[in-house]
Amino acid sequence: MAILEVKGIYKKFGKTEVLRGIDFSMEEGEVLSIIGSSGSGKTTLLRSISFLETADEGTVTLDGEVVFDAKSVFKRNKKEQREVQSKFGFVFQQFNLFPQYTALENVMLAPKLLAKEREDYKKNKKEILAEIEAHAKALLDRAGLSDKYSNYPCELSGGQQQRVAICRALALNPKIMLFDEPTSALDPEITNEVLKVIKSVADLGMTMIIVTHEMNFAKNISDKIIFMDEGVIAEEGTPQQIFTNPQNPRTKEFITSFSQQTEDL
Amino acid sequence: MFTEVTLKLLEGFGTTLEIFVLTLVFALPLGLIISFGSMSKFWPLKWLTKGIVWIIRGTPLMLQLIVIFYGPGLVGTWATAQIANGASGFLIEWLATWQVFDRFFAVMLAFIINYSCYFSEIYRGGIESISKGQYEAGQVLGMPKAQVFFRVVLLQVVKRIVPPMSNEIITLVKDTSLARIVMVYEIIWAAQKFIKSDGLLWPLFYTAVYYLIFCGALTLLFGWIEKKMDYFKS
Ligand SMILES: Nc1ncnc2c1ncn2[C@@H]1O[C@H](COP(=O)(O)OP(=O)(O)OP(=O)(O)O)[C@@H](O)[C@H]1O
Ligand SMILES: [Mg+2]
Repeated sequence: MAILEVKGIYKKFGKTEVLRGIDFSMEEGEVLSIIGSSGSGKTTLLRSISFLETADEGTVTLDGEVVFDAKSVFKRNKKEQREVQSKFGFVFQQFNLFPQYTALENVMLAPKLLAKEREDYKKNKKEILAEIEAHAKALLDRAGLSDKYSNYPCELSGGQQQRVAICRALALNPKIMLFDEPTSALDPEITNEVLKVIKSVADLGMTMIIVTHEMNFAKNISDKIIFMDEGVIAEEGTPQQIFTNPQNPRTKEFITSFSQQTEDL
Repeated sequence: MFTEVTLKLLEGFGTTLEIFVLTLVFALPLGLIISFGSMSKFWPLKWLTKGIVWIIRGTPLMLQLIVIFYGPGLVGTWATAQIANGASGFLIEWLATWQVFDRFFAVMLAFIINYSCYFSEIYRGGIESISKGQYEAGQVLGMPKAQVFFRVVLLQVVKRIVPPMSNEIITLVKDTSLARIVMVYEIIWAAQKFIKSDGLLWPLFYTAVYYLIFCGALTLLFGWIEKKMDYFKS
């Protein structure tokens, strides 16, 4: 059974139709990369899946549960909204770390606030907090940040900030991770350290969608690639199919323009 | 004589401080509420608040003081005269009961309203300067709106508004002298009395020392707060 099923997503901003009928599904543990030219609607799609944007039409089903249906208004209370929202981990292009918290505090904040709503929180406060801290530290260690626990975001490089942001998103144990151009705001030399961390997350079996312009990375990490063009999925297939044997002329054009760019460099 | 003047001025400065502290106690939270009004998505509320803020910020505090102090009395007198001329009705009878406020109360009312509006604009500027990404990062972590505001946004707003707030608060110290025009016994009024009673002008100049010391202390305090929040950049 598919873990994520996206059906018939339409989204307009004013008169601009940004998404014009998006359908795809993913199996558990699958890594999907979305590529496409600027303005084709990649960010809007990720945002519509994770409640940052409300699609005009369509449904999103996660793990058998319809989490979004444009036809019916979901009246979720805070607890329910929190539960469903935390199934999606989201990594922003601009990191968006909380500046007044250290790296460790950034990772621990949401789990701590969530724990406060547990019925046994008062009774087992110490154990619960210790557990959250241990988990957060393990995540940071795995991202190579074991010496940065108590640094504030302004004391970290862009690559380090993005790695903290990935840990922060992972701390709530999401079902699926969504990355929106996670390395676009970084200097080329440090994109690799972030890509490595994303790869390690994928290797642990996390289901994820990555919007990226890093074609080599997409080719290597993905089980499936979607090429978006003007708000629709123009082509979908394995990296092999998309990169070496694209069917759609638009895909072909996009791929060649990219390989030319790399050669120019 | 010097000691006598010092003590009298200190007494007057007590009232100055009272106006200062009470204004802050009420206007700081009220300003936050007004700022929410002026950022509301419900447009009638938004434009009503913006209109009030525009009027209050667009007219002198001195004028507002006079209107609040003398206004109700004038309305009461006018309404009483209308009734004497044969007018009747619930509204006019109610208006006829209007009386002059207590001096100090009128001063507090004017200062609190005026400063709430100024503070609200500072809050609004601070809140609107926080990037959308901070709210969204909180949202995708499942935090409800109130939690995002108090746990993520608020401290960043506070950090940004400390400099404009300290400016405004230091202005407030000096604005308290306006209370004198409705004859509230603050430090300037206390000093002026020496002109009439003893023909002494220097006590008036001497008040500057009080203001300077107090504003100096405030400047140090705000500098310390700014330093306290230096550990992060936003
Ligand atoms: N909040 C918004 N209001 C109005 N228009 C928007 C909004 N967000 C996106 N758009 C428009 O929707 C279109 C698609 O934007 P989107 O950000 O999804 O593209 P993208 O594929 O992510 O592009 P990029 O590669 O540059 O990030 C663009 O034309 C953009 O101007
Ligand atoms: Mg984008």
